Amino acid sequence: MTFLWQGLQQAWHLIATRDPYLWGLVDVTLRVCALSTGIAILVGIPIGLGIGLGRFRGRGVLVTLANAGLGLPPVIVGIVLAVLMFPQAPLGRFHLLFTLRGVYIAQTALAVPIIIALTISAVSDIAPGLIAQARAFGARRHRIALLALREARVGVMAAIIAAVGSGLSEVGAIAIVGGNAEYSTQTLATAALERVGAGRYADGIAIGILLIGLVLIVTALLTVLQFAGGQRRVGRSS
Amino acid sequence: MRAVLEVVDLEVRRDGRPVLDRLSLAVAPGEVVAVLGPNGAGKSTLLETVGGMLPAASGRVRVAGRVATVLQTPGLASRSVRANVDLAQAWFGVPRRQRRGRTEAALLALRADHLARRPAAALSGGERRRVHLARGVAVGADLLLLDEPFAGLDAETSRELVADTATTLREAASAVLVVLHDRADAWALADRVLVMMAGRIVADGAPDALMKAPPSAEIARFLGYDGEVRIGDDVVLTRPAHVRLDPGGELEGAVRSVVRLEDGARVEVATPRGTLFALHPDADLAPGEAVRVALVGGVRFPVAPGAGR
Repeated sequence: MTFLWQGLQQAWHLIATRDPYLWGLVDVTLRVCALSTGIAILVGIPIGLGIGLGRFRGRGVLVTLANAGLGLPPVIVGIVLAVLMFPQAPLGRFHLLFTLRGVYIAQTALAVPIIIALTISAVSDIAPGLIAQARAFGARRHRIALLALREARVGVMAAIIAAVGSGLSEVGAIAIVGGNAEYSTQTLATAALERVGAGRYADGIAIGILLIGLVLIVTALLTVLQFAGGQRRVGRSS
Repeated sequence: MRAVLEVVDLEVRRDGRPVLDRLSLAVAPGEVVAVLGPNGAGKSTLLETVGGMLPAASGRVRVAGRVATVLQTPGLASRSVRANVDLAQAWFGVPRRQRRGRTEAALLALRADHLARRPAAALSGGERRRVHLARGVAVGADLLLLDEPFAGLDAETSRELVADTATTLREAASAVLVVLHDRADAWALADRVLVMMAGRIVADGAPDALMKAPPSAEIARFLGYDGEVRIGDDVVLTRPAHVRLDPGGELEGAVRSVVRLEDGARVEVATPRGTLFALHPDADLAPGEAVRVALVGGVRFPVAPGAGR
């Protein structure tokens, strides 16, 4: 309990003194989360809609692969990417290893499958017959995609929240690819891991408390959006 | 006058099995054509193919203008009723400035205007069907296809909706092709009835003419000719309206069963020549009671070769 109490005290101290190191961690964490989630939304939602709404051979295999992507072990993703980023490896000429750009790529690789798999799941819950009826009235693809997105918005927002949660709290892949370098590629989660590894449990708990606070604030905002959006849209057509 | 829909020698297969077999038909402007048939006859497949949702194996489908299909399942978006009808028009490509007026007219025609602001999720089954039909009316297609638009409704709700739809359909599109499960709905809605069996059209005509003179015994039975007696070398098929319990009737028989109705009873009579069904004003008959029966109508077909007595 002493560690926890000390951790709380240190967390308060870090916040109250506006510690530059802490705010650097918050900055990197938010950038990694925002960029990876943003790219995952741009890439993953269209793919998720395509698979979820599609009627083509091999769709079942793609759904299974997408679901398997949810369970990707971050450490393995980190190792594979790090190996690919070695100087002699295919991505070596881009000098990504131990850089923030490499961290963005690693976290995006983890976020995209989350968005794809949960978007497919959200789309499958749309009212029976609605998409078929839109097709029967001659709706073009972009209108069907827009319809599906609106109808499945609660589920799609859940996918985004899951990706954001992963982006804020990911450790394994980011530490391996980014090298967990202070003032450079270190995030709140990897900093907490480093403190605990060094036996500085109170520091680790302090950073962990701040990380949990950040996760709560961000997900609370997204949850408000998730349900408020649905209420506003009743009564509007596209 | 040029047909709105022309189908020539259409063949459609599902999983390699022929579902439509060299089917041909034409629908003229202004016609409301009902398609009837037993389960598996290919009715919905015909609609899906004409609507462009299913490819043809061979043959030709030509629609003069644009076609819209109202599917059997009334899938509504989780928005207001008005937004749903607007949305259907957006899918169909109706210009935005025309949508609101068409929505109001369609909802009014189907007596759903009072639902306009209500969320679709709050509608009853009958209300959902009304809104679903209103979407089809609002898009203003040249050919409107309806797949069992009254499926799953209770008798009273269905009766009300059929009455409202009957007056609306003729203004909804240049021509309408509607698949129905209930024969009575076809008689209420259509100018012309097609009967499909095993992927082919086996009867085609005005409802009254078809009912008075079905082209075969099989079609007569499908159209509700449930009584059957053999007279000479012919089989006579009857509907309950063709059979009267009459002490002076030409056939003797015995009551086999009595089913009470709101206005009397439906009586099954076994005669030495076959079984007949009659409507009787009273339910005062008992099984086994001897009766005489007069035939006041029915259709006559030669007994099929090899049929037993």
